[in-house]
Amino acid sequence: MGSMSRPDIRPWRPVPAAEQDPDLAALLARVARGDHRAFELVYSELAGPVYGVVRQVLRDPAQSEEVAQEVLLEVWRTASRFDPARGSAAAWTLTIAHRRAVDRVRSENAGSRREQKAAPAPADDADVAEFVVATMDHQRVRRCLDGLTDLQRESIKLAYYGGYTYPQVAKLLGVALGTVKTRIRDGLIRMRDCMEVNS
Amino acid sequence: MKVLRDDLHVLSGSYALDALGDQEREEFERHLQHCPSCDAEVRGLRETAARIAIASAVAPPARMEQRVLAAAYQTRQLPPLAGPRARRQDQDRRRAQVARLFAVRPGRVPRRVAAFAAAASVAVAVALGVTQVATQHQLKSTQASGAAITRVVTAPDARIETQRTSAGGSVTVVASAALREAVVTTTGLVSPPAGRVYQVWVISPAGARSAGLLARTGTLLASAAGPADRIGITVEPAGGTTHPTTTPVAVLPLALSLLASPARSPSWSGDAAQLGPGGRT
Repeated sequence: MGSMSRPDIRPWRPVPAAEQDPDLAALLARVARGDHRAFELVYSELAGPVYGVVRQVLRDPAQSEEVAQEVLLEVWRTASRFDPARGSAAAWTLTIAHRRAVDRVRSENAGSRREQKAAPAPADDADVAEFVVATMDHQRVRRCLDGLTDLQRESIKLAYYGGYTYPQVAKLLGVALGTVKTRIRDGLIRMRDCMEVNS
Repeated sequence: MKVLRDDLHVLSGSYALDALGDQEREEFERHLQHCPSCDAEVRGLRETAARIAIASAVAPPARMEQRVLAAAYQTRQLPPLAGPRARRQDQDRRRAQVARLFAVRPGRVPRRVAAFAAAASVAVAVALGVTQVATQHQLKSTQASGAAITRVVTAPDARIETQRTSAGGSVTVVASAALREAVVTTTGLVSPPAGRVYQVWVISPAGARSAGLLARTGTLLASAAGPADRIGITVEPAGGTTHPTTTPVAVLPLALSLLASPARSPSWSGDAAQLGPGGRT
């Protein structure tokens, strides 16, 4: 998998989320107090995942860089709103990142899109794979993805990596709306359980 | 598209992956407030999504770091949301405001707040009945809003704001950022012209969304109202419209600092979607 990396895409090897996160939460508390050093550390931990997820959705490197910068600036600006009781610092940050990327896609599509118009071309699986570098975490995610049914896996990839709404996913896969929303949920639950067991 | 409540739960996965359209997302977020198990599930699934994201990390261009750091250090940070102590102080101030509004002594406010809530929920039924916009579905949701109104008005973080309207009388908004809900009460507005009604809007950066019709004196509950949103009231053709078409008689911010300055009146030129700055935080 690592051999598929483009020259301009360097691998990123973060510490597994479970280990890094207590520190990240503490770092965010310092960031909220305006601590520059803490923000630099947060940047070094999360810039890669943020850029990775944004780029997977947006594809365009320049646009991805712009959105990733916005996201990281948002982390600085709103660090005081992070509540460790409600989830990990990584999930908080990456939720912002994915949301921003998806907002960008949808606001660009909004002008031309009609409800019944065909959704944009699906992400080619090879394209997606190209971004994914061989980390421990990646192997675990890959293994867990492999444990899903085809429909669960495709639905999750199109929704998360592709940034499509579930009705668009249903259209792309040619299955009923109800089927897709069910498969996304039970697929994710299976992923969650699989990664807990394996971590 | 209206989704039945039973079906909402299954949207947790799509919600966690940002795969819902705007309308369904708002609907699901309302649902989350009353469904702690759904909320817990969503949080768990977001952790899972984060693991997928971490696994697909890519090193960003090296120049990005200096840009982000430089931009950050020139950017003012948001203050924390109210903690328990600040909340208590807010609550005291809120009680004082409620006391002024209803001309009672501060010590007796809690009971008065409850009374206000009860009166408000009756007013909802009356308002909907009087303006004859109550379909069977709305009646059901009206009954539900009685409890919801009580919840908002008595929420620890509830803020209250009153403003005179350009149609006479006043409008009072009690809002809870945590519940993302606002109770809107009109008092003594002039009767709208024949064939016209008052319509309430939740105005967000994305545009104005109808919260329903309201009598010249009445109460309704506006859902999915974020802290940065505003409440606007306009005069519209009977039955209401999908977008505001007239200059509002009142606009109140929900980012309610108790000492909030008077709301700026937005001018909207037909297309409500252009309201407010773009982007989401």
